[in-house]
Amino acid sequence: MMGFSIALSLENLLFALIGCILGTLIGLLPGLGPAAGTAILIPITFKLNPTPAIIMLAAIYYGAMYGGTITSVLINVPGEAASVVTCLDGYAMAKQGRAGPALGIAAIGSFVGGTVATFGLVLVALPLARFALKFGPPEYFSLLCVGLSLVMGLAGKSLVHALMMGILGLLVSLIGVDPIQGAPRFTFGIPRLMDGVKFVPVVMGFFGIGEILLNAEKTLTAVMKTSGKVTSFLPRRDEWRISVTSILRGTGLGFFLGLIPGTNSAVASFMSYIIEKKVSKHPEKFGTGVIEGVAAPETANNAYANAALIPLFTLGLPGSPTIAILMGALIMNGLMPGPLLFKQHAAFVWAVIASLYIGNVILLILNLPLVGWWAKILKIPYQTLTVLILIFCIVGAYSLDNNLFDVGVMIVCGVLGYLFKKLDFPMAPAILTLILGPMLERSLRESLSISQGDFSIFFTRPISLTFLIITMIILITSGRKALFGALREESKEAEV
Amino acid sequence: MTRLYQLVAIVCLALGVFVIILSLDLSYHSDFGPGPGFFSFWLGGLLILLAVVELVGLSRRPREPLPKDFVPAPGGLRRILSIIGSLVAVPLLMKPLGFTLTVLGLSVFLLRTTGRQSWWATAAISLCGSFGTFYLFRLLDVLLPTGFLGF
Repeated sequence: MMGFSIALSLENLLFALIGCILGTLIGLLPGLGPAAGTAILIPITFKLNPTPAIIMLAAIYYGAMYGGTITSVLINVPGEAASVVTCLDGYAMAKQGRAGPALGIAAIGSFVGGTVATFGLVLVALPLARFALKFGPPEYFSLLCVGLSLVMGLAGKSLVHALMMGILGLLVSLIGVDPIQGAPRFTFGIPRLMDGVKFVPVVMGFFGIGEILLNAEKTLTAVMKTSGKVTSFLPRRDEWRISVTSILRGTGLGFFLGLIPGTNSAVASFMSYIIEKKVSKHPEKFGTGVIEGVAAPETANNAYANAALIPLFTLGLPGSPTIAILMGALIMNGLMPGPLLFKQHAAFVWAVIASLYIGNVILLILNLPLVGWWAKILKIPYQTLTVLILIFCIVGAYSLDNNLFDVGVMIVCGVLGYLFKKLDFPMAPAILTLILGPMLERSLRESLSISQGDFSIFFTRPISLTFLIITMIILITSGRKALFGALREESKEAEV
Repeated sequence: MTRLYQLVAIVCLALGVFVIILSLDLSYHSDFGPGPGFFSFWLGGLLILLAVVELVGLSRRPREPLPKDFVPAPGGLRRILSIIGSLVAVPLLMKPLGFTLTVLGLSVFLLRTTGRQSWWATAAISLCGSFGTFYLFRLLDVLLPTGFLGF
């Protein structure tokens, strides 16, 4: 109740609304994903108190999940990765003149998934946080290893590439002043590097500018044509019946996957679609405009988005680049995610959790009547949007510290991001290790300090040992998959 | 494609060696436990190992040619270089010219070269984008650099 009383204050309601609007806009714009969009908007929150700042950033995050749906349905272009699968049946429904029910069921499913996940967060958060209070530096180090191994294991086709990117992110995170002894490290005599490399310009560069450069390979003069007017938002009676079970399945799957760091919302939405197709009596109809093909993935991705905050708040473990950016924003506001957050800043945590529920209500009210307005934004020529995005990126990078060095970092990372995309090197591991690197190093060195250099401290403590075993299983499984894949390729070539 | 991956692996190998050399200048161990050079030393070593694994893996696989559309068409390359060039100019020009004029120039250049907008549309979007952003962020107490004209 304390959380609701804070979240329902006029200031926090206003920022939740602004966050939902900005998030929907970010999700709507192809080429600007939730990660880059959230990073770009962090500077806007500098003048705010932590509570409204994080409420707004969280609203941007789950708002972007819904925004991507609008473009998927109306113009067959997913606004972000999780909305790709919605294109299959959503756009087919729009071509049949049923864009309204498609968007309506997506909004309702997202609301149900998000709300259930928020209640799940309330139920699970405290017991998990109490368990995490038993953690010392060895447990934190091992837990971070689990999180990072999941991200690297699931990122892209090549485990080696993912590991290389993870190490590059860790190396960049070491630039600056050593956190324990205060010695400058990898600064090359450049005073600006004493503060380290901030993750916001890196994210904006990788995901924002890199994406713009990739899109620039094709002509930028496209104006997106929508599939027609949006009328009634309500599905038919028979569609309601089918949608209920799809929404329940999507909620369960999305919530479960959100608890596991390393998965992402695209995995939740794809798996949900595949499951719906498997359990359907008419799987051949998927792709032709069936309502469950929209209801389930949209529910799953919103349930995922809210549930993914559970490991962040309770364990301090971000499961995806966007959550890692939220984590960075929390740290910038002087709040360390993890079990102590519940102890030391309980009012803040419960206010943010309450705002998740309120934000879901706002999204439902906001998006259905205003979908016509959102569709108008899609008529803006893409090169105009590109220029506006670049301007915001420049301002965002500069305003972090009022210096042009961060703008330079963003530009360099933009070019690198473009090259990484071309070469299929996943960037998520680099972003996560950039943000988690300092914590990983600190927990490692503190553990070895406690044990006076004895590495067995990680193996003699049961929780730490369990986490390390999980890490090894994940890496071995990912490695085996990669190795068998490579061996299969070799034997195919030998047969030919 | 194989050649490119080999190049990347060699760069990572060199980077790993470089990191190890720099780490040796930092203290590996101290009275308080591992020193500043400890973590980076092992990361450098791991990067070298991964680079070697990648090079060995690439040598065992048949050579992959570059995909057909890997290198952008001349038009695409021009757009990419225009965007990069204009972005590089931003930090160089922002101090003398200020945010507004720099971003105005960036917008006009990109809208004309990448989008072929009409001059009217270019002027309108550029003026709104540059001045609008400047004053919007001033409202949010974010002070952007001003040049010799005071804005």
